[in-house]
Amino acid sequence: MRVSRCLQRLQDLRLLRCSWQTARVLQPEPHGPRAARSNPQQHRVVRGFHCSPVFAKDPRLPGRLVGEDDKKRQTSLVAHDDLFEQIAMGAKSKATFAKVIDVFNKRDIRRRGHVEFIYAALRKMPEFGVERDLGVYNRLLDVFPKEVFVPTNFIQRMFNHYPRQQECGVQLLEQMENYGITPNVETKVLLVQIFGEKSHPMRKYQRLMYWFPKFKHLNPFPVPQQLPEDPVDLARFSLTRIANDLDAKVTVHQLPCSDVTESGEEIHRPYILGIQSPGQRELLAKHDPSRPVFVEGPFPLWLRSTCVHYYVLRADPPLPQDQVEEAYDPERSFYFPLQLDFSLDRDVWDEEGFDVEDLDEGPVYAMCMAGRGDQATLGQWISDLQRDNPVLGRVPTLFRLDPGPQHLQGGGDEESEPRHRLHVETEEDQAVLDEEPRRGRGKL
Amino acid sequence: YIISDSECFILKKSISVTHMFFFAGGHQTCFSLFFSSQESKSFAVNMFKGQIATSQVFPFPKALNEEQEQFLRELVGPVSKFFEEVNDPAKNDALEKVEDHTMEGLKEMGAFGLQVPGDLGGLGLSNTQYARLVEIVGSHDLGVGITLGAHQSIGFKGILLFGNKAQKEKYLPKLATGENIAAFCLTEPASGSDAASIKTTAVLSPCGQYYTMNGSKIWISNGGLAEIFTVFAKTPVKDPNTGEVKDKITAFIVERSFGGVSHGPPEKKMGIKASNTAEVYFDNVRVPADCVLGEVGGGFKVAMNILNNGRFGMAAALSGTMKGVISKAVDHAANRTQFGNKIHTYGAIQEKVARMAMLHYVTESMAYMISGNMDSGAAEFQIEAAISKIFASEAAWTVTDESIQVMGGMGFMKDCGVERVMRDLRIFRIFEGTNDILRLFVALNGFQNAGNHLKSLQKALKNPIGNAGLLAGEITKRAKRKAGFSSGLTLQGSVHPELAQSGDLTVKAIEEFGAVIEELLVKHGKKIIDEQFVLKRVADCAIDLYAMVVVLSRASRSLSQGAASAQHEKMLCETWCLEAYDRILHDIKFLRSGQSKQTFKNMRAISAAMVENGGVVSPHPLGF
Repeated sequence: MRVSRCLQRLQDLRLLRCSWQTARVLQPEPHGPRAARSNPQQHRVVRGFHCSPVFAKDPRLPGRLVGEDDKKRQTSLVAHDDLFEQIAMGAKSKATFAKVIDVFNKRDIRRRGHVEFIYAALRKMPEFGVERDLGVYNRLLDVFPKEVFVPTNFIQRMFNHYPRQQECGVQLLEQMENYGITPNVETKVLLVQIFGEKSHPMRKYQRLMYWFPKFKHLNPFPVPQQLPEDPVDLARFSLTRIANDLDAKVTVHQLPCSDVTESGEEIHRPYILGIQSPGQRELLAKHDPSRPVFVEGPFPLWLRSTCVHYYVLRADPPLPQDQVEEAYDPERSFYFPLQLDFSLDRDVWDEEGFDVEDLDEGPVYAMCMAGRGDQATLGQWISDLQRDNPVLGRVPTLFRLDPGPQHLQGGGDEESEPRHRLHVETEEDQAVLDEEPRRGRGKL
Repeated sequence: YIISDSECFILKKSISVTHMFFFAGGHQTCFSLFFSSQESKSFAVNMFKGQIATSQVFPFPKALNEEQEQFLRELVGPVSKFFEEVNDPAKNDALEKVEDHTMEGLKEMGAFGLQVPGDLGGLGLSNTQYARLVEIVGSHDLGVGITLGAHQSIGFKGILLFGNKAQKEKYLPKLATGENIAAFCLTEPASGSDAASIKTTAVLSPCGQYYTMNGSKIWISNGGLAEIFTVFAKTPVKDPNTGEVKDKITAFIVERSFGGVSHGPPEKKMGIKASNTAEVYFDNVRVPADCVLGEVGGGFKVAMNILNNGRFGMAAALSGTMKGVISKAVDHAANRTQFGNKIHTYGAIQEKVARMAMLHYVTESMAYMISGNMDSGAAEFQIEAAISKIFASEAAWTVTDESIQVMGGMGFMKDCGVERVMRDLRIFRIFEGTNDILRLFVALNGFQNAGNHLKSLQKALKNPIGNAGLLAGEITKRAKRKAGFSSGLTLQGSVHPELAQSGDLTVKAIEEFGAVIEELLVKHGKKIIDEQFVLKRVADCAIDLYAMVVVLSRASRSLSQGAASAQHEKMLCETWCLEAYDRILHDIKFLRSGQSKQTFKNMRAISAAMVENGGVVSPHPLGF
């Protein structure tokens, strides 16, 4: 069905070629679709739906038309595309898009070529940035002539009345669906006026209205359509999104700014935003100072089409022999037990909250996002963290940074923090790891 | 959005790692002594599992044989008479000591050695007999009660329970006659319930003949009078397995005559003024190695057992106290006329009197239920004993408070004598484990037992075919619970048919309670220990439940024996069960609701703000 309709559409385009070839864009067409009704080819357009089988064996029906049609379709659409280009004149906005629709509406009372125009408009919508604008969709729908395609008798109702137009309407709704736009009552009124109560577009509309409200709040962690522009805000948003802990505190360690040093050099200070929860602070306080902590990253985080990068401060999991917690003295409290002596196995579905910080692969102590991913910047983050986590002053910190995209953007290398000069290459880090802690401790 | 190799969202089980290790130790702690046996007979233990174990509670224990009863009857008369005629509680209170002739009289009666075996010079009373006499003491003079209790309920109870033959023969005869007074020395300035912070030390001499003891103990009842002390001190003990030397607590019998034992002046107190309370100092006391009570390093167990064994006496004494003040209040209500009517005809007074009667009935029933269980050789009465201590001390406080209310201004005056009782009573909610801490004990012991039960079910699940019967039973139970049916528990046959309705309420409450305990266990696991807001409410439910069963048992006995007071007891029982059921269900509903979480969170925050502010946070309504 779909294929035949496509064919149909192609042929239709071909039919209209002659008129459009000569047509100038802003001039009214000498004849609309109705005027072309005398043209025998017009009958072919609707053949298969409305016509007698006599025409079915037309020898001209054909493979050869396909290539030809492609060309023609292009030209036809190009005509509409041109319309957009010309009116917009470079400034592509909702206003100009609306103007194009106005121009088309006023050009011809019969709205000739409206299907092609709508297809072209749908394709142009993202370019004009109106692809999520319900009002624009409604205006576009308004381009369809009203009442013409509404079936008036049972035969029309039984068969697919004006399939190209219905198809176009469905296409429009489909694009709305893809962008997650919920139609409103105006859409419904328009559809009823154009196609009638039981048309395909109307069915599509009803399906949309059935499912969309159901799925509207399906995602408990929605990413807003409009991400914050400011990188600091964006970082704050991303960090709170990763660390799903309401107690976690975002700290702005440094705002982006530029300084001029005495020597006249201009220094850009990148922003540094960190996040740490009380639980992580507790874990870090318990960290064995003889074992190093690692600053690792960058790890990508995608927010819609934006990719940001973050870094984590983590440690290796404690060795099994170190894992024994301070022994519980059963003879501690005279009046009540301080420890219960059973451990219930749990099933996955019993899990109320799982620990996102103390992991089998090693605990994660903090996370940050920075304007630059070099060691100096991250070193500053660590030294800032030290205020809340004094243990960091005694723990050797190793940087295991991949040369991420942020490095490419990064400015010149700054002097690294004197405290955190232990940069170990990712590939070698396992090798040097054993001696690092000693060295680190010695210097700190 | 994409989660890279971020560690943040990896689903893992957080419980497993940290908690497994305790299991490996395999040391049966003193607490786990109570829940070691597989099928506990204790009612309180079982109710946490949502089960009913009737053997200890139905029928109400009859702990005395003919001979014992006869002996007790012979004692009750003279003791009551002694307290009515010889002892003057007001004078003791004013003097801040028990009058000398009263002490002499008590010694002559043998009141200082009630439970010391007859061949060692005591009366050799059973727990029930002891409770009956203590009740008389409690109804007249709690100051004397503390003097006696500190002497025999905790002071030398260690020798009775853990002393070897030589120790018993050496000390008990003199203690039983009252020639020597005993004291129990556990509390230190830095150590209330925390055994780890005990600072008193006892170091074994190189020859192994004696220990040198140093340290001080505070708030020791009879501290200024005692000759014999049960002292808990830290001694270095070598672990036979690891060879590690660790400080462990050891109990010692210390005589004042050893030298180096001194005491401070008597403390000024709110109540129980007649009893002596003082600091006791140990300065290089040479304690012979023979004086170790129990095992070296086993002091914790000794202390726990002494405390657990002494609690029932408190409930008995307080039920006596309640009886005493109730009689005064009722006397007043019956004789005082206002607006032409006796005040007992007014509903406000009637409610007070009725509530006093119920509280007394419950406390008395608990005291004799527990003493009866102990006499019949039950090993698990610790939860019940703790419940009885909590309930009795709070009930006595409420009853005395209401008595004063009923008596109005009269009750406030010193002459009436209730004022002194009120002051005396206050300490009972504090000492020998504050009620708050004992609530934790009750709830946590219950959770431990329920947890073991759940754990065994989980083990059974691993072999479903071998345990088909057990599992089918448990699944049916849970299915019924979910569907809102009774799970088939019943007290029919145990409870007198006239009390069937109260029995049903109790069963329903136990089912709900068992279900909520299991929910909480699944929700919090071992971390339930940190949820003290929850634990407190669970303990409240447990206390109410045990109280329901105890009165059901006692009222059933009265009904089936056709006692004259049977119908009255039935009313007490029914009223109590109805109200307790409502309280329990209210608490359970609250624990299940999201409201509780918010409430607890608020309370935490309010408390934190107050602590930070050093007091009330809100500004004065006038602004200054």
